[in-house]
Amino acid sequence: MLVVDRAAVAVVTDLGRTRGPALGLPVNGALDQYSARVANILVANDERDALIEVTAYDFAFTADSDLLIAVTGAPMSVFVDDVEHGMWEPVSVRAGQQVLLQEMRVGLRTYVAVHGSFDVPLLLGSCAPDTVVGFGTVLHDGSTVPVRSAVRPLVNPYFDMSLFNLGVLVPHFGGDVTIDVTDGPDADQFEGTAARLFHEPFEVSVASNHIGLRMTGSLPVRTSSAEVISRGVPVGAVEVPPGDELLVLHRGRGVTAGYPVLAVVTPLALDDLGQVRPGQRVRFRHKDVERADEDSRAWRARLDELRHRISTVYSCLGAGQLLRPTSGPTPEPSSVPTLEGIQ
Amino acid sequence: MTDTLAADRAVVAACGPAALRVTGATGERERDWRLVHHLARRLADEQVVGVLGSIPTYESVLVEIDPAATDLQRVRTETERLIAAIDLDEPLSCAPRHFSVPVVYGGDSGPDLGRVAEITGLHTEDVIALHTEPLYTVRCLGAPGGSPMLDGPAFPVPVPRLASPRTNVPAGAVSVAGRQATITPARAPGGWCVIGWTPLAVMDLAEEPPVPYRPGDTLSFHRIDEATASRLAGARLQAGEAAQP
Repeated sequence: MLVVDRAAVAVVTDLGRTRGPALGLPVNGALDQYSARVANILVANDERDALIEVTAYDFAFTADSDLLIAVTGAPMSVFVDDVEHGMWEPVSVRAGQQVLLQEMRVGLRTYVAVHGSFDVPLLLGSCAPDTVVGFGTVLHDGSTVPVRSAVRPLVNPYFDMSLFNLGVLVPHFGGDVTIDVTDGPDADQFEGTAARLFHEPFEVSVASNHIGLRMTGSLPVRTSSAEVISRGVPVGAVEVPPGDELLVLHRGRGVTAGYPVLAVVTPLALDDLGQVRPGQRVRFRHKDVERADEDSRAWRARLDELRHRISTVYSCLGAGQLLRPTSGPTPEPSSVPTLEGIQ
Repeated sequence: MTDTLAADRAVVAACGPAALRVTGATGERERDWRLVHHLARRLADEQVVGVLGSIPTYESVLVEIDPAATDLQRVRTETERLIAAIDLDEPLSCAPRHFSVPVVYGGDSGPDLGRVAEITGLHTEDVIALHTEPLYTVRCLGAPGGSPMLDGPAFPVPVPRLASPRTNVPAGAVSVAGRQATITPARAPGGWCVIGWTPLAVMDLAEEPPVPYRPGDTLSFHRIDEATASRLAGARLQAGEAAQP
Protein backbone atom coordinates (compact mmCIF):
# COMPACT_ATOMS: atom_id res chain seq x y z
CA MET A 1 0.00 0.00 0.00
CA LEU A 2 1.11 3.51 -0.73
CA VAL A 3 0.11 6.42 1.52
CA VAL A 4 0.00 9.90 0.01
CA ASP A 5 1.69 12.45 2.29
CA ARG A 6 1.25 15.48 0.10
CA ALA A 7 -0.84 16.04 -3.03
CA ALA A 8 -2.46 19.01 -4.71
CA VAL A 9 -3.47 17.81 -8.18
CA ALA A 10 -2.67 14.12 -8.65
CA VAL A 11 -4.63 11.14 -9.96
CA VAL A 12 -4.19 7.48 -10.77
CA THR A 13 -4.55 7.04 -14.52
CA ASP A 14 -3.53 4.86 -17.46
CA LEU A 15 -3.35 5.16 -21.25
CA GLY A 16 -7.09 5.74 -21.49
CA ARG A 17 -10.53 4.25 -21.89
CA THR A 18 -10.44 2.90 -25.43
CA ARG A 19 -13.90 1.38 -25.07
CA GLY A 20 -15.33 4.75 -24.00
CA PRO A 21 -15.74 6.74 -27.22
CA ALA A 22 -18.19 4.28 -28.83
CA LEU A 23 -20.36 4.69 -25.71
CA GLY A 24 -20.14 8.46 -25.54
CA LEU A 25 -17.29 8.66 -23.01
CA PRO A 26 -13.99 10.36 -23.87
CA VAL A 27 -10.80 8.29 -23.92
CA ASN A 28 -9.07 10.40 -21.24
CA GLY A 29 -5.90 8.92 -19.69
CA ALA A 30 -2.34 10.25 -19.41
CA LEU A 31 -2.01 13.56 -21.25
CA ASP A 32 1.64 12.83 -22.03
CA GLN A 33 1.41 9.26 -23.27
CA TYR A 34 5.11 8.95 -24.07
CA SER A 35 6.20 9.81 -20.53
CA ALA A 36 3.55 7.52 -19.06
CA ARG A 37 4.59 4.61 -21.27
CA VAL A 38 8.28 5.10 -20.51
CA ALA A 39 7.61 5.18 -16.75
CA ASN A 40 5.83 1.82 -16.93
CA ILE A 41 8.49 0.31 -19.21
CA LEU A 42 11.25 1.36 -16.81
CA VAL A 43 9.67 -0.65 -13.99
CA ALA A 44 8.86 -3.62 -16.26
CA ASN A 45 5.12 -2.99 -16.19
CA ASP A 46 2.69 -3.34 -19.05
CA GLU A 47 2.49 0.08 -20.75
CA ARG A 48 -1.24 0.12 -20.03
CA ASP A 49 -0.83 -0.29 -16.28
CA ALA A 50 -2.17 2.29 -13.85
CA LEU A 51 0.28 4.95 -12.70
CA ILE A 52 0.21 8.32 -10.94
CA GLU A 53 -0.11 11.58 -12.87
CA VAL A 54 1.09 14.59 -10.86
CA THR A 55 0.06 17.99 -12.19
CA ALA A 56 2.06 21.16 -11.43
CA TYR A 57 2.51 20.83 -7.64
CA ASP A 58 4.70 18.92 -5.19
CA PHE A 59 3.77 15.33 -4.39
CA ALA A 60 4.98 12.93 -1.68
CA PHE A 61 4.17 9.40 -0.61
CA THR A 62 5.40 6.63 1.66
CA ALA A 63 5.03 2.92 1.02
CA ASP A 64 4.72 0.12 3.55
CA SER A 65 6.64 -2.27 1.29
CA ASP A 66 9.74 -2.10 -0.89
CA LEU A 67 9.03 -0.59 -4.29
CA LEU A 68 10.63 -0.18 -7.66
CA ILE A 69 9.53 3.15 -9.12
CA ALA A 70 10.29 5.42 -12.07
CA VAL A 71 9.52 9.11 -12.43
CA THR A 72 9.13 10.67 -15.91
CA GLY A 73 7.50 13.68 -17.55
CA ALA A 74 7.88 17.31 -16.48
CA PRO A 75 11.19 17.84 -14.61
CA MET A 76 10.95 17.78 -10.79
CA SER A 77 13.48 17.13 -8.04
CA VAL A 78 13.03 13.57 -6.82
CA PHE A 79 14.06 12.67 -3.27
CA VAL A 80 13.90 9.29 -1.55
CA ASP A 81 14.15 10.35 2.08
CA ASP A 82 16.93 12.92 1.72
CA VAL A 83 18.80 11.40 -1.19
CA GLU A 84 18.19 12.95 -4.60
CA HIS A 85 17.56 10.59 -7.52
CA GLY A 86 17.26 11.02 -11.26
CA MET A 87 14.14 10.92 -13.36
CA TRP A 88 13.76 8.62 -16.39
CA GLU A 89 15.41 5.70 -14.58
CA PRO A 90 14.28 2.98 -12.18
CA VAL A 91 14.70 3.80 -8.48
CA SER A 92 14.55 1.32 -5.63
CA VAL A 93 12.62 2.50 -2.55
CA ARG A 94 12.56 0.67 0.78
CA ALA A 95 9.52 0.25 2.95
CA GLY A 96 8.99 3.32 5.11
CA GLN A 97 11.03 5.68 2.94
CA GLN A 98 9.35 8.81 1.67
CA VAL A 99 9.36 9.69 -2.01
CA LEU A 100 9.13 13.44 -2.57
CA LEU A 101 8.63 15.16 -5.93
CA GLN A 102 9.38 18.85 -5.73
CA GLU A 103 9.46 22.06 -7.70
CA MET A 104 8.11 21.48 -11.16
CA ARG A 105 9.49 24.47 -13.02
CA VAL A 106 8.63 23.69 -16.62
CA GLY A 107 6.14 21.31 -18.15
CA LEU A 108 2.92 20.43 -16.37
CA ARG A 109 2.63 16.69 -15.74
CA THR A 110 4.97 14.20 -14.07
CA TYR A 111 4.39 10.43 -13.94
CA VAL A 112 5.22 7.94 -11.20
CA ALA A 113 5.04 4.26 -12.12
CA VAL A 114 5.41 1.54 -9.48
CA HIS A 115 6.38 -2.01 -10.39
CA GLY A 116 3.27 -4.20 -10.11
CA SER A 117 1.01 -1.16 -10.50
CA PHE A 118 -2.08 -0.42 -8.39
CA ASP A 119 -5.43 -1.97 -7.59
CA VAL A 120 -7.90 0.77 -8.38
CA PRO A 121 -11.51 0.83 -9.62
CA LEU A 122 -12.05 0.51 -13.36
CA LEU A 123 -14.74 1.89 -15.63
CA LEU A 124 -15.00 0.07 -18.97
CA GLY A 125 -11.61 -1.50 -18.33
CA SER A 126 -9.74 1.71 -17.51
CA CYS A 127 -8.93 3.59 -14.30
CA ALA A 128 -8.50 6.91 -16.16
CA PRO A 129 -10.44 9.64 -14.37
CA ASP A 130 -13.45 11.09 -16.17
CA THR A 131 -14.27 14.42 -14.57
CA VAL A 132 -17.55 14.74 -16.47
CA VAL A 133 -19.13 11.55 -15.17
CA GLY A 134 -17.30 11.84 -11.84
CA PHE A 135 -15.17 8.71 -12.03
CA GLY A 136 -11.57 8.20 -10.95
CA THR A 137 -9.01 7.84 -8.18
CA VAL A 138 -8.06 11.36 -7.15
CA LEU A 139 -5.22 11.59 -4.62
CA HIS A 140 -5.29 13.84 -1.57
CA ASP A 141 -3.19 14.06 1.59
CA GLY A 142 -3.79 10.77 3.38
CA SER A 143 -5.13 8.85 0.35
CA THR A 144 -4.04 5.23 0.18
CA VAL A 145 -3.43 3.30 -3.03
CA PRO A 146 -3.13 -0.50 -2.91
CA VAL A 147 0.02 -1.70 -4.70
CA ARG A 148 -0.26 -5.08 -6.39
CA SER A 149 2.56 -7.06 -4.82
CA ALA A 150 2.77 -9.81 -7.37
CA VAL A 151 6.54 -10.19 -6.95
CA ARG A 152 8.63 -10.32 -3.81
CA PRO A 153 9.80 -6.92 -2.60
CA LEU A 154 12.95 -5.91 -4.32
CA VAL A 155 15.93 -4.85 -2.26
CA ASN A 156 19.16 -5.12 -4.12
CA PRO A 157 22.24 -2.97 -3.53
CA TYR A 158 23.17 -3.23 -7.20
CA PHE A 159 19.99 -1.54 -8.28
CA ASP A 160 21.60 1.79 -8.86
CA MET A 161 20.46 2.13 -12.41
CA SER A 162 22.48 5.27 -12.98
CA LEU A 163 25.26 2.81 -13.74
CA PHE A 164 23.47 1.87 -16.93
CA ASN A 165 22.97 3.97 -19.97
CA LEU A 166 19.34 3.23 -20.71
CA GLY A 167 19.33 5.69 -23.56
CA VAL A 168 15.88 7.02 -22.75
CA LEU A 169 14.91 9.83 -25.06
CA VAL A 170 13.89 12.67 -22.76
CA PRO A 171 11.56 15.22 -24.39
CA HIS A 172 12.23 18.93 -24.16
CA PHE A 173 9.98 20.82 -21.76
CA GLY A 174 9.18 24.54 -21.56
CA GLY A 175 9.81 27.45 -23.93
CA ASP A 176 8.00 28.03 -27.19
CA VAL A 177 6.49 24.83 -28.52
CA THR A 178 6.02 23.73 -32.11
CA ILE A 179 2.92 21.61 -32.63
CA ASP A 180 2.49 19.50 -35.77
CA VAL A 181 -0.99 19.35 -37.28
CA THR A 182 -2.40 17.66 -40.35
CA ASP A 183 -5.25 18.99 -42.47
CA GLY A 184 -8.65 18.78 -40.85
CA PRO A 185 -11.65 17.41 -42.76
CA ASP A 186 -13.49 20.74 -42.68
CA ALA A 187 -10.64 23.13 -43.54
CA ASP A 188 -12.66 24.35 -46.55
CA GLN A 189 -15.11 25.95 -44.13
CA PHE A 190 -12.41 28.48 -43.21
CA GLU A 191 -11.66 29.51 -46.76
CA GLY A 192 -9.15 32.34 -47.04
CA THR A 193 -8.26 32.41 -43.33
CA ALA A 194 -7.28 28.79 -42.57
CA ALA A 195 -3.57 29.63 -43.02
CA ARG A 196 -3.73 32.05 -40.07
CA LEU A 197 -3.19 28.99 -37.91
CA PHE A 198 0.41 28.93 -39.11
CA HIS A 199 1.27 32.63 -39.32
CA GLU A 200 1.69 33.72 -35.71
CA PRO A 201 2.15 31.82 -32.46
CA PHE A 202 -0.85 31.35 -30.16
CA GLU A 203 -0.78 31.88 -26.41
CA VAL A 204 -2.24 29.18 -24.15
CA SER A 205 -4.95 30.63 -21.89
CA VAL A 206 -5.69 29.74 -18.26
CA ALA A 207 -9.00 28.19 -19.29
CA SER A 208 -7.12 25.12 -20.55
CA ASN A 209 -7.38 21.61 -19.13
CA HIS A 210 -7.49 17.92 -20.06
CA ILE A 211 -10.64 18.50 -22.13
CA GLY A 212 -9.09 21.12 -24.34
CA LEU A 213 -6.56 23.92 -24.58
CA ARG A 214 -7.81 27.41 -25.33
CA MET A 215 -5.45 29.75 -27.11
CA THR A 216 -5.51 33.39 -28.14
CA GLY A 217 -4.06 34.69 -31.39
CA SER A 218 -5.07 35.55 -34.91
CA LEU A 219 -8.10 33.33 -35.41
CA PRO A 220 -9.20 31.70 -38.65
CA VAL A 221 -12.79 32.65 -39.44
CA ARG A 222 -15.48 30.16 -40.22
CA THR A 223 -17.19 31.10 -43.46
CA SER A 224 -20.19 28.80 -43.28
CA SER A 225 -22.70 29.16 -40.47
CA ALA A 226 -24.78 26.07 -41.14
CA GLU A 227 -25.72 24.06 -38.05
CA VAL A 228 -23.66 20.87 -38.26
CA ILE A 229 -25.24 17.70 -36.94
CA SER A 230 -23.30 16.10 -34.05
CA ARG A 231 -20.55 13.75 -35.13
CA GLY A 232 -17.43 12.16 -33.74
CA VAL A 233 -14.47 14.47 -33.24
CA PRO A 234 -10.91 13.17 -32.87
CA VAL A 235 -8.61 14.02 -29.99
CA GLY A 236 -6.40 16.81 -31.30
CA ALA A 237 -9.17 18.52 -33.29
CA VAL A 238 -8.54 22.25 -33.77
CA GLU A 239 -11.81 24.19 -33.72
CA VAL A 240 -12.90 27.81 -33.72
CA PRO A 241 -15.93 27.99 -31.42
CA PRO A 242 -17.87 31.24 -30.89
CA GLY A 243 -15.76 33.67 -28.87
CA ASP A 244 -12.20 34.87 -29.28
CA GLU A 245 -10.18 31.73 -28.65
CA LEU A 246 -8.90 28.77 -30.61
CA LEU A 247 -9.85 25.41 -29.08
CA VAL A 248 -7.60 22.34 -29.35
CA LEU A 249 -9.32 19.24 -28.00
CA HIS A 250 -7.34 16.86 -25.82
CA ARG A 251 -8.06 13.40 -24.38
CA GLY A 252 -10.97 14.50 -22.16
CA ARG A 253 -12.90 15.94 -25.11
CA GLY A 254 -16.59 15.23 -25.56
CA VAL A 255 -16.67 12.57 -28.27
CA THR A 256 -19.33 14.28 -30.38
CA ALA A 257 -19.63 17.92 -31.39
CA GLY A 258 -21.05 20.09 -34.10
CA TYR A 259 -18.13 22.38 -34.89
CA PRO A 260 -16.06 22.05 -38.08
CA VAL A 261 -12.55 20.63 -37.62
CA LEU A 262 -9.91 22.93 -39.12
CA ALA A 263 -6.83 20.81 -38.39
CA VAL A 264 -5.83 17.85 -36.22
CA VAL A 265 -2.81 17.70 -33.92
CA THR A 266 -0.58 14.65 -34.48
CA PRO A 267 -0.44 11.99 -31.72
CA LEU A 268 3.15 12.89 -30.80
CA ALA A 269 2.42 16.60 -30.61
CA LEU A 270 -0.52 15.87 -28.29
CA ASP A 271 2.05 14.77 -25.71
CA ASP A 272 3.74 18.16 -26.02
CA LEU A 273 0.37 19.88 -25.55
CA GLY A 274 -0.12 17.79 -22.42
CA GLN A 275 2.93 19.56 -20.99
CA VAL A 276 2.28 23.22 -21.92
CA ARG A 277 1.32 25.77 -19.30
CA PRO A 278 -0.97 28.77 -19.54
CA GLY A 279 1.04 31.69 -20.93
CA GLN A 280 3.29 29.47 -23.04
CA ARG A 281 3.38 30.14 -26.77
CA VAL A 282 2.50 27.53 -29.33
CA ARG A 283 3.37 27.64 -33.01
CA PHE A 284 1.49 25.28 -35.33
CA ARG A 285 3.31 23.57 -38.17
CA HIS A 286 1.68 21.72 -41.05
CA LYS A 287 2.58 18.09 -41.55
CA ASP A 288 1.49 15.45 -44.09
CA VAL A 289 -0.30 12.39 -42.75
CA GLU A 290 2.48 10.20 -44.20
CA ARG A 291 5.16 12.07 -42.27
CA ALA A 292 3.07 11.96 -39.10
CA ASP A 293 2.76 8.18 -39.57
CA GLU A 294 6.53 7.82 -39.92
CA ASP A 295 6.95 9.77 -36.68
CA SER A 296 4.47 7.48 -34.92
CA ARG A 297 6.26 4.36 -36.08
CA ALA A 298 9.67 5.72 -35.07
CA TRP A 299 8.17 6.57 -31.66
CA ARG A 300 6.86 3.02 -31.30
CA ALA A 301 10.24 1.58 -32.28
CA ARG A 302 11.98 3.72 -29.65
CA LEU A 303 9.66 2.44 -26.94
CA ASP A 304 10.15 -1.17 -28.06
CA GLU A 305 13.94 -0.71 -27.99
CA LEU A 306 13.76 0.72 -24.50
CA ARG A 307 11.72 -2.24 -23.31
CA HIS A 308 14.29 -4.55 -24.81
CA ARG A 309 17.18 -2.76 -23.08
CA ILE A 310 15.34 -2.74 -19.76
CA SER A 311 14.70 -6.43 -20.00
CA THR A 312 18.41 -7.04 -20.68
CA VAL A 313 19.42 -4.89 -17.71
CA TYR A 314 17.04 -6.64 -15.30
CA SER A 315 18.16 -10.06 -16.51
CA CYS A 316 21.84 -9.11 -16.05
CA LEU A 317 21.12 -7.96 -12.51
CA GLY A 318 19.51 -11.25 -11.66
CA ALA A 319 16.13 -9.57 -11.32
CA GLY A 320 14.53 -11.58 -14.10
CA GLN A 321 11.51 -12.24 -11.87
CA LEU A 322 10.48 -8.63 -12.54
CA LEU A 323 10.04 -9.42 -16.19
CA ARG A 324 7.49 -12.17 -15.73
CA PRO A 325 4.03 -10.89 -16.49
CA THR A 326 2.17 -10.38 -13.23
CA SER A 327 -1.57 -9.93 -12.93
CA GLY A 328 -1.62 -7.38 -15.69
CA PRO A 329 -4.55 -5.25 -16.73
CA THR A 330 -7.48 -6.92 -18.43
CA PRO A 331 -6.58 -6.68 -22.10
CA GLU A 332 -9.05 -4.57 -23.99
CA PRO A 333 -10.31 -5.72 -27.35
CA SER A 334 -8.64 -3.89 -30.21
CA SER A 335 -6.61 -1.74 -27.87
CA VAL A 336 -2.94 -0.90 -28.29
CA PRO A 337 -0.87 -3.65 -29.88
CA THR A 338 0.80 -6.13 -27.56
CA LEU A 339 4.46 -5.34 -27.10
CA GLU A 340 7.26 -7.74 -27.51
CA GLY A 341 10.47 -7.85 -25.51
CA ILE A 342 9.24 -9.33 -22.24
CA GLN A 343 9.05 -13.06 -21.93
CA MET B 1 -15.74 -3.99 -57.47
CA THR B 2 -16.32 -3.73 -53.77
CA ASP B 3 -14.66 -0.33 -53.75
CA THR B 4 -17.19 0.93 -56.27
CA LEU B 5 -20.04 -0.30 -54.12
CA ALA B 6 -18.46 1.26 -51.04
CA ALA B 7 -18.01 4.57 -52.88
CA ASP B 8 -21.71 4.57 -53.78
CA ARG B 9 -22.62 4.08 -50.17
CA ALA B 10 -20.24 6.28 -48.23
CA VAL B 11 -17.52 8.90 -48.38
CA VAL B 12 -14.38 7.79 -46.55
CA ALA B 13 -12.04 10.66 -45.67
CA ALA B 14 -9.07 11.19 -43.37
CA CYS B 15 -9.91 13.10 -40.20
CA GLY B 16 -6.40 13.94 -39.12
CA PRO B 17 -3.54 11.44 -38.86
CA ALA B 18 -5.31 8.96 -36.60
CA ALA B 19 -8.93 8.75 -37.73
CA LEU B 20 -11.21 8.25 -40.73
CA ARG B 21 -14.57 9.94 -41.06
CA VAL B 22 -17.02 7.73 -42.94
CA THR B 23 -20.13 9.62 -44.04
CA GLY B 24 -23.15 7.78 -45.41
CA ALA B 25 -24.02 8.65 -49.01
CA THR B 26 -26.92 6.32 -49.73
CA GLY B 27 -29.22 9.28 -50.26
CA GLU B 28 -31.47 8.09 -47.47
CA ARG B 29 -30.97 9.16 -43.84
CA GLU B 30 -32.18 5.94 -42.24
CA ARG B 31 -29.88 3.85 -44.41
CA ASP B 32 -26.92 6.14 -43.74
CA TRP B 33 -27.57 5.77 -40.03
CA ARG B 34 -27.79 1.98 -40.19
CA LEU B 35 -24.71 1.86 -42.40
CA VAL B 36 -22.47 3.74 -39.98
CA HIS B 37 -23.67 1.79 -36.93
CA HIS B 38 -23.33 -1.58 -38.64
CA LEU B 39 -19.85 -0.55 -39.78
CA ALA B 40 -18.86 0.38 -36.22
CA ARG B 41 -20.02 -3.04 -35.00
CA ARG B 42 -18.21 -4.94 -37.76
CA LEU B 43 -14.98 -3.05 -37.06
CA ALA B 44 -15.27 -4.05 -33.40
CA ASP B 45 -16.28 -7.67 -34.14
CA GLU B 46 -13.49 -8.27 -36.62
CA GLN B 47 -10.89 -6.58 -34.39
CA VAL B 48 -9.26 -4.94 -37.38
CA VAL B 49 -5.55 -4.45 -36.57
CA GLY B 50 -4.74 -0.95 -35.36
CA VAL B 51 -8.38 0.16 -35.04
CA LEU B 52 -8.83 1.52 -31.53
CA GLY B 53 -12.58 2.06 -31.76
CA SER B 54 -15.22 4.07 -33.50
CA ILE B 55 -17.81 6.73 -32.78
CA PRO B 56 -20.95 6.21 -34.87
CA THR B 57 -23.42 9.11 -34.84
CA TYR B 58 -26.33 10.14 -37.12
CA GLU B 59 -24.90 9.81 -40.59
CA SER B 60 -21.20 9.40 -40.01
CA VAL B 61 -18.75 7.35 -38.01
CA LEU B 62 -15.31 8.37 -36.79
CA VAL B 63 -12.94 5.39 -36.92
CA GLU B 64 -9.97 5.92 -34.61
CA ILE B 65 -6.69 4.16 -35.34
CA ASP B 66 -3.28 3.74 -33.75
CA PRO B 67 -0.91 5.12 -36.41
CA ALA B 68 2.01 3.31 -34.77
CA ALA B 69 0.34 -0.03 -35.55
CA THR B 70 -1.26 0.58 -38.95
CA ASP B 71 -1.90 3.36 -41.42
CA LEU B 72 -4.99 5.11 -42.69
CA GLN B 73 -4.75 3.60 -46.16
CA ARG B 74 -4.82 0.06 -44.82
CA VAL B 75 -7.76 0.78 -42.52
CA ARG B 76 -9.49 2.58 -45.37
CA THR B 77 -9.26 -0.50 -47.60
CA GLU B 78 -10.56 -2.71 -44.81
CA THR B 79 -13.35 -0.26 -44.04
CA GLU B 80 -14.45 -0.13 -47.67
CA ARG B 81 -14.55 -3.91 -47.80
CA LEU B 82 -16.83 -3.96 -44.74
CA ILE B 83 -19.03 -1.18 -46.08
CA ALA B 84 -19.66 -3.11 -49.29
CA ALA B 85 -20.78 -6.16 -47.31
CA ILE B 86 -23.34 -4.39 -45.10
CA ASP B 87 -27.06 -5.08 -45.53
CA LEU B 88 -28.46 -1.54 -45.43
CA ASP B 89 -31.94 -2.72 -44.47
CA GLU B 90 -30.90 -4.87 -41.54
CA PRO B 91 -32.31 -3.25 -38.38
CA LEU B 92 -29.84 -2.24 -35.67
CA SER B 93 -31.77 -4.15 -33.08
CA CYS B 94 -34.23 -7.03 -33.45
CA ALA B 95 -35.87 -6.14 -30.15
CA PRO B 96 -35.59 -2.42 -29.50
CA ARG B 97 -36.39 -1.45 -25.91
CA HIS B 98 -38.39 1.62 -24.96
CA PHE B 99 -37.56 4.31 -22.40
CA SER B 100 -40.22 6.68 -21.11
CA VAL B 101 -38.73 9.87 -19.67
CA PRO B 102 -40.67 12.12 -17.26
CA VAL B 103 -39.84 15.82 -17.73
CA VAL B 104 -40.51 19.03 -15.80
CA TYR B 105 -40.73 21.71 -18.51
CA GLY B 106 -39.83 25.40 -18.21
CA GLY B 107 -39.05 27.48 -15.14
CA ASP B 108 -35.71 26.75 -13.46
CA SER B 109 -35.84 23.24 -14.91
CA GLY B 110 -36.01 24.52 -18.49
CA PRO B 111 -34.54 28.04 -18.62
CA ASP B 112 -34.51 28.20 -22.44
CA LEU B 113 -38.12 27.11 -23.03
CA GLY B 114 -39.16 30.74 -23.65
CA ARG B 115 -36.25 31.31 -26.01
CA VAL B 116 -37.14 28.23 -28.05
CA ALA B 117 -40.77 29.43 -28.22
CA GLU B 118 -39.59 32.81 -29.46
CA ILE B 119 -37.26 31.36 -32.11
CA THR B 120 -39.85 28.91 -33.40
CA GLY B 121 -42.73 31.39 -33.16
CA LEU B 122 -44.71 28.94 -31.02
CA HIS B 123 -46.38 29.16 -27.62
CA THR B 124 -44.39 27.40 -24.88
CA GLU B 125 -47.26 24.90 -24.58
CA ASP B 126 -46.89 24.06 -28.27
CA VAL B 127 -43.14 23.61 -27.86
CA ILE B 128 -43.86 21.12 -25.07
CA ALA B 129 -46.54 19.39 -27.14
CA LEU B 130 -44.16 18.99 -30.09
CA HIS B 131 -41.42 17.71 -27.80
CA THR B 132 -43.63 15.10 -26.09
CA GLU B 133 -45.28 13.94 -29.32
CA PRO B 134 -42.71 11.76 -31.16
CA LEU B 135 -41.54 8.25 -30.51
CA TYR B 136 -37.83 9.03 -30.76
CA THR B 137 -35.15 6.62 -31.90
CA VAL B 138 -31.85 6.71 -30.01
CA ARG B 139 -29.54 7.56 -32.92
CA CYS B 140 -26.26 7.32 -31.03
CA LEU B 141 -24.55 7.87 -27.70
CA GLY B 142 -22.83 11.23 -27.51
CA ALA B 143 -21.16 13.76 -25.27
CA PRO B 144 -21.41 14.29 -22.41
CA GLY B 145 -21.47 10.92 -20.70
CA GLY B 146 -23.32 8.84 -23.29
CA SER B 147 -26.23 11.22 -23.95
CA PRO B 148 -29.02 9.66 -26.03
CA MET B 149 -28.81 11.63 -29.27
CA LEU B 150 -32.24 11.99 -30.93
CA ASP B 151 -33.78 13.61 -33.97
CA GLY B 152 -35.27 16.90 -32.82
CA PRO B 153 -39.01 17.60 -32.52
CA ALA B 154 -40.85 18.91 -35.59
CA PHE B 155 -40.20 22.59 -34.87
CA PRO B 156 -40.81 24.89 -37.86
CA VAL B 157 -37.15 26.06 -37.82
CA PRO B 158 -33.91 24.64 -36.40
CA VAL B 159 -32.97 25.97 -32.95
CA PRO B 160 -29.51 27.61 -32.91
CA ARG B 161 -27.06 26.72 -30.14
CA LEU B 162 -26.54 29.37 -27.43
CA ALA B 163 -24.10 32.07 -28.49
CA SER B 164 -22.16 31.55 -25.27
CA PRO B 165 -22.40 28.04 -23.85
CA ARG B 166 -23.35 27.53 -20.18
CA THR B 167 -20.46 26.41 -17.99
CA ASN B 168 -22.72 24.10 -16.00
CA VAL B 169 -25.71 22.20 -17.31
CA PRO B 170 -27.09 19.85 -14.64
CA ALA B 171 -27.47 16.10 -15.06
CA GLY B 172 -30.94 15.31 -16.38
CA ALA B 173 -31.20 18.44 -18.54
CA VAL B 174 -33.52 17.91 -21.51
CA SER B 175 -32.37 20.01 -24.43
CA VAL B 176 -32.67 20.76 -28.14
CA ALA B 177 -30.32 22.24 -30.76
CA GLY B 178 -30.43 22.42 -34.53
CA ARG B 179 -32.60 19.48 -35.56
CA GLN B 180 -31.50 17.41 -32.58
CA ALA B 181 -32.66 16.63 -29.04
CA THR B 182 -31.07 14.91 -26.06
CA ILE B 183 -30.88 14.32 -22.31
CA THR B 184 -27.66 15.10 -20.44
CA PRO B 185 -26.66 12.19 -18.14
CA ALA B 186 -23.89 14.16 -16.37
CA ARG B 187 -23.28 17.74 -15.32
CA ALA B 188 -21.20 19.42 -18.02
CA PRO B 189 -20.80 22.64 -19.98
CA GLY B 190 -23.28 22.90 -22.85
CA GLY B 191 -24.51 25.16 -25.61
CA TRP B 192 -27.88 23.51 -26.27
CA CYS B 193 -31.23 25.07 -25.30
CA VAL B 194 -32.43 23.48 -22.06
CA ILE B 195 -36.23 23.22 -22.10
CA GLY B 196 -36.76 20.78 -19.23
CA TRP B 197 -35.28 18.40 -16.69
CA THR B 198 -35.83 14.77 -15.76
CA PRO B 199 -35.48 13.70 -12.12
CA LEU B 200 -34.41 10.19 -13.19
CA ALA B 201 -30.79 9.09 -12.93
CA VAL B 202 -29.83 8.37 -16.52
CA MET B 203 -26.33 7.08 -15.77
CA ASP B 204 -25.11 4.40 -13.38
CA LEU B 205 -21.33 3.97 -13.26
CA ALA B 206 -21.69 0.54 -11.65
CA GLU B 207 -23.35 -0.72 -14.85
CA GLU B 208 -21.60 -1.59 -18.06
CA PRO B 209 -22.30 0.31 -20.20
CA PRO B 210 -23.18 3.13 -17.76
CA VAL B 211 -26.28 4.25 -19.69
CA PRO B 212 -29.15 1.77 -20.23
CA TYR B 213 -30.16 2.56 -23.84
CA ARG B 214 -28.45 1.62 -27.10
CA PRO B 215 -28.65 3.05 -30.58
CA GLY B 216 -31.88 1.70 -32.11
CA ASP B 217 -33.87 1.76 -28.84
CA THR B 218 -36.81 4.14 -28.59
CA LEU B 219 -37.52 6.95 -26.17
CA SER B 220 -40.39 9.29 -25.41
CA PHE B 221 -40.94 12.27 -23.10
CA HIS B 222 -43.98 12.94 -20.91
CA ARG B 223 -44.75 15.95 -18.79
CA ILE B 224 -44.78 15.80 -14.99
CA ASP B 225 -45.18 18.40 -12.25
CA GLU B 226 -42.70 19.38 -9.52
CA ALA B 227 -44.39 17.15 -6.92
CA THR B 228 -44.07 14.06 -9.14
CA ALA B 229 -40.49 15.07 -9.86
CA SER B 230 -39.54 15.09 -6.17
CA ARG B 231 -41.18 11.69 -5.76
CA LEU B 232 -39.18 10.26 -8.70
CA ALA B 233 -35.90 11.99 -7.83
CA GLY B 234 -32.94 9.63 -8.08
CA ALA B 235 -34.89 6.66 -9.49
CA ARG B 236 -33.11 5.02 -12.39
CA LEU B 237 -34.12 5.30 -16.01
CA GLN B 238 -35.18 1.82 -17.05
CA ALA B 239 -36.63 0.19 -20.12
CA GLY B 240 -40.40 -0.24 -19.88
CA GLU B 241 -43.46 -0.89 -21.98
CA ALA B 242 -43.48 0.61 -25.44
CA ALA B 243 -45.23 3.96 -25.41
CA GLN B 244 -48.25 4.43 -27.65
CA PRO B 245 -47.07 6.77 -30.36
